Amino acid sequence: MIWLTWRQFRVQALTAGAALAVFAILLAVTGHDLADRYAASGITGCHGGGCTNATIEFLVSLGNTTLYPAVYELGIAVILVAPAIIGLFWGAPLIAREFESRTFALAWTQSTTRNRWLAAKLALTGLTAMAVTEALSLMYAWWGEPIVRAFNLGAAGTGTVFDDNQFSSLMFATHGITPLGYAAFAFALGAAVGVLFRRALPAMAVTLAIFAAVQVVMPLAVRSHLLPPDRTVATFAAVQADDIGTLAPTVVPGHPGSWIISSAAVNTAGRPVDLNTASASCYPSNPQAKGPNAPVLWQCLDGKGFRTAVTYLPGSSYWPLQYIETGIFLALALVLAGYCSWRLSRRRS
Amino acid sequence: MSPTSVIETDGLGKRYRRLWALSDCTLSIPAGHVVGLVGPNGAGKSTLLNLATGLLAPTAGTIEVLGGRPADGPAQLARVGYLAQDAPVYAGLSVADHLRLGAHLNPGWDAGLARGRVERLDLDLSQKAGTLSGGQRAQIALTLATAKRPELLILDEPVASLDPLARREFLQDLMEATADQELSVVLSSHLIADLERVCDYLIVLVGSRVRVAGPVEELLATHHLLSGPRRDPATLPGGLEVISASHTDVQTTLLVRTSGPVLDPAWTKSDVGLEDLVLAYMSQGAGRDRSSRHLEVQK
Repeated sequence: MIWLTWRQFRVQALTAGAALAVFAILLAVTGHDLADRYAASGITGCHGGGCTNATIEFLVSLGNTTLYPAVYELGIAVILVAPAIIGLFWGAPLIAREFESRTFALAWTQSTTRNRWLAAKLALTGLTAMAVTEALSLMYAWWGEPIVRAFNLGAAGTGTVFDDNQFSSLMFATHGITPLGYAAFAFALGAAVGVLFRRALPAMAVTLAIFAAVQVVMPLAVRSHLLPPDRTVATFAAVQADDIGTLAPTVVPGHPGSWIISSAAVNTAGRPVDLNTASASCYPSNPQAKGPNAPVLWQCLDGKGFRTAVTYLPGSSYWPLQYIETGIFLALALVLAGYCSWRLSRRRS
Repeated sequence: MSPTSVIETDGLGKRYRRLWALSDCTLSIPAGHVVGLVGPNGAGKSTLLNLATGLLAPTAGTIEVLGGRPADGPAQLARVGYLAQDAPVYAGLSVADHLRLGAHLNPGWDAGLARGRVERLDLDLSQKAGTLSGGQRAQIALTLATAKRPELLILDEPVASLDPLARREFLQDLMEATADQELSVVLSSHLIADLERVCDYLIVLVGSRVRVAGPVEELLATHHLLSGPRRDPATLPGGLEVISASHTDVQTTLLVRTSGPVLDPAWTKSDVGLEDLVLAYMSQGAGRDRSSRHLEVQK
């Protein structure tokens, strides 16, 4: 059974292998230069404030090239899109095409049960899908390692494309083990929709729509509810609130690398206050005049007794959250595989 | 379940959404024969054979194939060879790949038989199945179905899409393949001339019902065409079952079934061909199956 599955899958597998190789070569060539730039940046062996300066300088100079921001964003795009492509071109036609060409009648009347046929198809193709996507992610993580290290040392934003916290929507779904989960889910989704529709093209369209929706809903509405967040109240200076009007905290004091989920202005009694009213007293009355810079604004707000209450997930929650999210997608993939088996065993053709 | 039947059904029915493709079908197909299953489009032939292979599950009733439940595990699957309508094959796989497929998926695979057949048929092993002619595709599918060494071979309209020459070659080949192996065969067709060439047992299925079933020789021996001066068929002597009757002003022609001789000298007796016999039984039930006729196309 594995032979037939491999025989039907091998062109796609070789295509994926070629794509992996191209990606690997791109990353290897540019990654080598990137590591050299890091080594020459003076970050290694820096002390105190010198580190912040060196990292900011390193990231800003990278950001001013055309190559590194392009590869940085391309890598993220590839890892996000790969599961969708797998679901579309490996998952959806996997069984739907057998119905279209009526070859299921050939496959299911050999001396191998339908469930073994399905299991071989899902396991071989599904595990390859997971391996390919995770390989992309690992290669990319190797490439971006100097950037992430510099970002973590520098802490504050540099205004470049590299200002992505490890919890950010783009980073979280492309690093760690979540690509495994997304790949398994997209593939199983495609297969199950294909079993439902029995025609590849509509199955591909529906798979794409559902998977794209899941990719948006997960970071926006689900991920922040997977673990109970911590809460702290701090001064605006301590959270380095950004000065673009929202006064959103950029760091959690004592917890670098945290994911800030929400924030609200409070008074010293801990009661919520309206941020606009609070900050208005610190801005000049003439709207044409230049506003205070960030530290002055923080000092003003903090001096008037305003504080910011932050809910966040600390950096130590990164791996638990990775396991939970990946686990959810793997479980969904298993449910979808079970649906395929149930639907085929009802033997409607 | 008697051990001498390969397919036995009881009240078997299959419904697609609201339409019954087969309903309340009770029949028994004996072992050791090449059985032809004939009937008009929509009689339920394909559905019955799909139920026998386990590709479909019944909505009502039961079906036993070689004493087991269709497709119930690898052992049962190995005992039944199946050639589906239009002989589907993997277009992207070569002839050799199909043989490898058969070898990998069937523990009882007879590699010598498969290789021998392909060589005899002069098929190019490296040719992609998608580029084969309809006749060649059917040959590949038949090779897969026979080389797994089944006890029962089921063929659903195996020659429907073939040209007359390919049809003749395929049936000839089928005959040779089944003669070599101790094999029961059930094949469906609406081309009676083809069945006459290969079948020794015939079942006429109309509207899910068996109209007539029996060994071809026996059917031919017990059916006669009688023609004589016009008279009411009801006045015929007992022991004669009238299958069809047609009248002109002066003459009556009857197709009758009888086990004994026809003695009335008023009748001229002549033998009946298998085609006329089958058509007579099919038109007998013509009114019944009209409602389900469109199902064949839909499936």
